[in-house]
Amino acid sequence: MLRFFLLFVVLLAALFGLELTPWVQDWFVVPWTNALARISTWIVTLFDGNVVATGKVMRSNANGFAVSIEAGCNGVEATLVLLAAILAFPAPWTHKAVGLVIGILAVQLLNILRVISLFYLGQWNYEVFEWAHLYVWQALIMLDVLVVWLIWVRRVPRIDDSRGPPSAPPALAPG
Amino acid sequence: MNEAASPKESEREGPGAKHFIKSALTRFILAAIAWLPVTFGAWYLLGPVLLWPVRLLVQLICRVGLGDLVRGVEAGGSSMAFLTTLKPGEGLGAGFVSVDVNMLVYAFGMPLFAALTIAAREAKWWRTLAIGYAVMVPFVAWGVLADFLKGIALVAPAAVASQAGFSGLQREMIAFAYQFGSLILPAVVPAVLWVLLHRAFLERLRQRAG
Repeated sequence: MLRFFLLFVVLLAALFGLELTPWVQDWFVVPWTNALARISTWIVTLFDGNVVATGKVMRSNANGFAVSIEAGCNGVEATLVLLAAILAFPAPWTHKAVGLVIGILAVQLLNILRVISLFYLGQWNYEVFEWAHLYVWQALIMLDVLVVWLIWVRRVPRIDDSRGPPSAPPALAPG
Repeated sequence: MNEAASPKESEREGPGAKHFIKSALTRFILAAIAWLPVTFGAWYLLGPVLLWPVRLLVQLICRVGLGDLVRGVEAGGSSMAFLTTLKPGEGLGAGFVSVDVNMLVYAFGMPLFAALTIAAREAKWWRTLAIGYAVMVPFVAWGVLADFLKGIALVAPAAVASQAGFSGLQREMIAFAYQFGSLILPAVVPAVLWVLLHRAFLERLRQRAG
């Protein structure tokens, strides 16, 4: 457990530090955030044609309301947390790869729902929007990351199965 | 901490065990989602009380380490007002600059941790809640302090920021501390804490799945 925890913290700090570098911002974070705005807008236009995306901004042509997808709302940090948690856990690399692909998809899909819901909550009631934006969705996204990780961990074969009697894996051994 | 499932328990599990186990995780997830509105409501109503230790810790840090910048800290519900020694600048009137910080922004992990802990239905869950709360307090204080420092070092007009006297490196460190304290810690700390404090629960889930 200690090894997993330390590795997770180191990986998360390194990944987050990397995310803040101008190169990663320019080549990954900003393009991804803009793409997120376009994807969310495309979904919304299936039932509301008055919405356009400009860069990282989703705007309603009907009433002028707009949301700008900023750091923390683009799902990048949640993805980094999941990445660090899966990489730090002792498991075969194939399992890690599958877990990452499915996990990142799950996190980003929920994040699209967050962006769209906030877009309409903001048009309905600003106080509710602030509550959902600052507190509720932050917790829900983290819950999503935790649930994805729990489901993945349950499916990971024990790496110490062949070395002796069934025992708690290092990462989850009761201490 | 509860022990993992005993061999006798495992022997008792019949052919339907896998189904039961799968639904055990599903039940936990659904219970956590169901508890979230309750814990969020309680957290919001009790915010000033729950965040009182955070305020004390922040006040202590300001008195010990930031005495030249902070004249005092005032509480207003779940917010804090940092009364600084900085002047607003020429032509902007007399008085001192104050910075307001909403502490709830850095404390939303508390209701998340509570919902997860109650949903796991482990013995002595109230003790786990207390431990988790105590561990989260310094991390919330981190976010609040970093928010304040960002306010005077990075967001304030140059005339104010220059009075604070932070070097370029210090401003970079404040920016990183703020980003880490607002984007990572509030969400990650409760989840990591919950995992660390529920190893036996997780181990049971894994054993039954295997």
